[in-house]
Amino acid sequence: MSLRRWTVTLLAALVALFTIAPLLWMLSVSFMARGEAAQFPPPLLPGDPTLDNYRALFGSFGIGHFLINSLLVSTLATLLALFFTIPAGYAFAKLRFRGRDATFRLLVAALVVPGQIGMLPLFLELKAMGLVNSYAGALVPWLAGIFGIFLVRQYCLTIPDEMLEAARIDGASEAQILRRIVLPLLSPIIVTLALFVFLGSWNDFMWPLIILADQDLYTLPVALAAMSREHVQDNELMMAGAVVTTLPVLVLFLALQRFYLSGLTTGSVKG
Amino acid sequence: MAGLTIETARKCFGSIEVLKGVSIAVADGEFTVIVGPSGCGKSTLLRAVAGLEELDGGRIIIGDRDVTRLAPSERGIAMVFQSYALYPHLSVRENMAFGLRIAKVDKAEIAQQVQRAAQILNIEALLDRKPAALSGGQRQRVAIGRAIVRQPQIFLFDEPLSNLDADLRVRMRYEFARLHRQLGTTTLYVTHDQVEAMTLADRIVVLRDGRIEQIGSPRMLYERPANIFVAQFLGTPRMNILPATMADDGRAALADGRRLALPALAAPLAAGTSLSVGIRPEHVRIGDAPDALAFTIDFIERLGGLATVHLQSAAGGGPIACQLRDDGSLREGSSAPVRLPTEHLHLFDPSGAAIETRGERP
Ligand SMILES: Nc1ncnc2c1ncn2[C@@H]1O[C@H](COP(=O)(O)OP(=O)(O)O)[C@@H](O)[C@H]1O
Ligand SMILES: [Mg+2]
Repeated sequence: MSLRRWTVTLLAALVALFTIAPLLWMLSVSFMARGEAAQFPPPLLPGDPTLDNYRALFGSFGIGHFLINSLLVSTLATLLALFFTIPAGYAFAKLRFRGRDATFRLLVAALVVPGQIGMLPLFLELKAMGLVNSYAGALVPWLAGIFGIFLVRQYCLTIPDEMLEAARIDGASEAQILRRIVLPLLSPIIVTLALFVFLGSWNDFMWPLIILADQDLYTLPVALAAMSREHVQDNELMMAGAVVTTLPVLVLFLALQRFYLSGLTTGSVKG
Repeated sequence: MAGLTIETARKCFGSIEVLKGVSIAVADGEFTVIVGPSGCGKSTLLRAVAGLEELDGGRIIIGDRDVTRLAPSERGIAMVFQSYALYPHLSVRENMAFGLRIAKVDKAEIAQQVQRAAQILNIEALLDRKPAALSGGQRQRVAIGRAIVRQPQIFLFDEPLSNLDADLRVRMRYEFARLHRQLGTTTLYVTHDQVEAMTLADRIVVLRDGRIEQIGSPRMLYERPANIFVAQFLGTPRMNILPATMADDGRAALADGRRLALPALAAPLAAGTSLSVGIRPEHVRIGDAPDALAFTIDFIERLGGLATVHLQSAAGGGPIACQLRDDGSLREGSSAPVRLPTEHLHLFDPSGAAIETRGERP
C-alpha cells in the first residue's frame, strides 16, 4: 500500500473511532458497579464487571415489557408504512389520474414543514376520534410518510412504462402488476424504507410521549426517560437501558446493511 | 386468426392531433408495415390497436369484434416493444409463461407452449437465464417468444429491430420473414426504416404527420408513388426531383433551360405549367447518346460493387444522384453525358401529387 492509502485508512479509522467510542463506553459503563462511572477521571473499563444493572432493569424495572411494546409498535409501523407507502409511491409514478402531479407537489412541499408543528392538530384530531392513549394513535404518523412515498416514487420512475404495459397486455390486473412485477423490482428500496421506518419509530420519543398516557403502553425511549427521572444519579443503570434500546436496531441494521446500501444507490442507475 | 380494421382513428395529445383519421384494413394473415418518419404517429397508432392508448375517434375491429373499448388483454393481440420490455427478475421461461400463468392455464399446457415457442425461435438453451444475461438479439427473440406463446390473432411490432446493430438487424429481418411464413399470423409492424418496410411487407402504409400518404404493395409504392413524399421516402439513394415547366413543344424545360422529353400524359398540360420531374438514381444513365445532357461529376461515393455519383449541371441544374456499377472509369471533376430515360420519369404537380402517365413501367 502506498503512503497515500495508509493516510486515508488511518483517517477513516480515526473517524470511526470517534463515532464508536461513546457507544463502546456506554457498553462498558453498563457493566460497572453503581457510582463507578461518576469517579474522576472516569474509568474506561469496569473494575469488577457485573450484570447487576441488567438484573435490575429486567427485574424490578421490568424493561422486558417495554422492549416488547417497542418491538410491537415498530413492527406494526413498518408493516403499515410499507402497505400504504408502496402503492402510493407507485401510483404517483406510474398511474394516470386526475390531480396526480398537483397532489404530489403539495405533499413534497409539506416535507419542509417540521413534524412538530403538526403534532398538536394531529393530537386534537386523534382525541376527537378517541385514539389517544392507544397504539392506533401512536402508529398514525407512520402510516404514509411523505419521504417514503417520495422514495418509492423516484425508484418507480426508473421502471420503464413498456414493461408495465407488457404485463397489462399479458392480462395482469393492476394489483397483479404491483405484486408480481413492481414489488420484486422494488425489493432493495423496500428494505431501505423498512429500516428507515423501523429505526424512526423505534427511536421516536416525542410522539409516544404525547399520545401514550398509560405507563403500561410506554415504548422503550419513553419508559427510559421516565426511569431517568427517578434515577438521575444512576448512570450505570441508564447506560444498561441505553444498551437494551440500541442493541436490537443495531443488529437489525448490520444484518440488512448490504441490502440497505444497494437500495440507496440502485435507484439512480437504470436496469 | 383474424383480420384487422382501423376506421378513421383519431388521437390528440392535448391540443396536438397526432392521428388525423387513419383507416387501414389488414387482411387475415397479411404482413402490413407502417412506415414513416420519426414522430409521425406510428407508435401511437400501434398502441391504440393494442389498447394502450384510447382513441378520441374511430374504431378498431379485430376479426368481427369491435375492440375499441376493450382492455389490451381482451383484444387477442400480442405486442413486441422497441425496448423488448422483458421482466428483468424473471427467467426467460417465466417471462414467456407470464401471460399464461396470469390466465391460469394448466401447467403442462404452459410448459408445452413455452417449449414450442422456444423451439421456433431457437432459444431452448436460454430458458433458464435472466434477461440481463442475454445479448440484444437474444432478448429480441425472447420478446417475440413471449408474443408467440400468447397465440394472438394479431402480432404488433414497434420498431423491433431498431436497437440492434446493422448486421444483426439484417439477420433478424430474415427471421421475421421466416416466422411470418411459418405462423401466418396477421401482423402490423411499425418502422421508420424503409428498407425493413420494402423487404418484409405484403403491404406498406406510408404515414406522415398522422395521415396516410399511400397504401400498397412495396412494388406498387416504389413504381407508382402517389406523391413526392412517398417517392423520396422509399428507396436509397432517394429519388431525384428536378423542378421544370411545360414547354410549348410538349417537353419539359429544366431550371437550366435544357429540354427533356416526357412520357405520354393521361391528360395534357398547358405550356408554362410548373411540375417536378422525378427519377430514381438507379435509372439515371451515364453515357453518350443524342439526347444526353452534359453534367459534371461532383463527387463519387464508392460502395465496392456499386457507386453513387453526384452530378451537377454546368448551367446550374441539379444536383442529381446516379447509381451504377462501378468500373472505376469515372473521375470526380470530369464531365459526363447523362441520360434520363423517358420511361423511368415520374411527374408531380406543384402540390407534390403524382401526375398520371400512360403506359407500363419497365
Ligand atoms: N403520451 C404522449 N403525450 C404527449 N405527446 C405524445 C405522447 N406520445 C406521443 N406523443 C407525440 O405524438 C407524436 C407521435 O408520436 P409517436 O406515435 O411516438 O411517433 P413515432 O412512433 O411515429 O415516432 C409525437 O410528436 C410525440 O411527441
Ligand atoms: Mg415510435
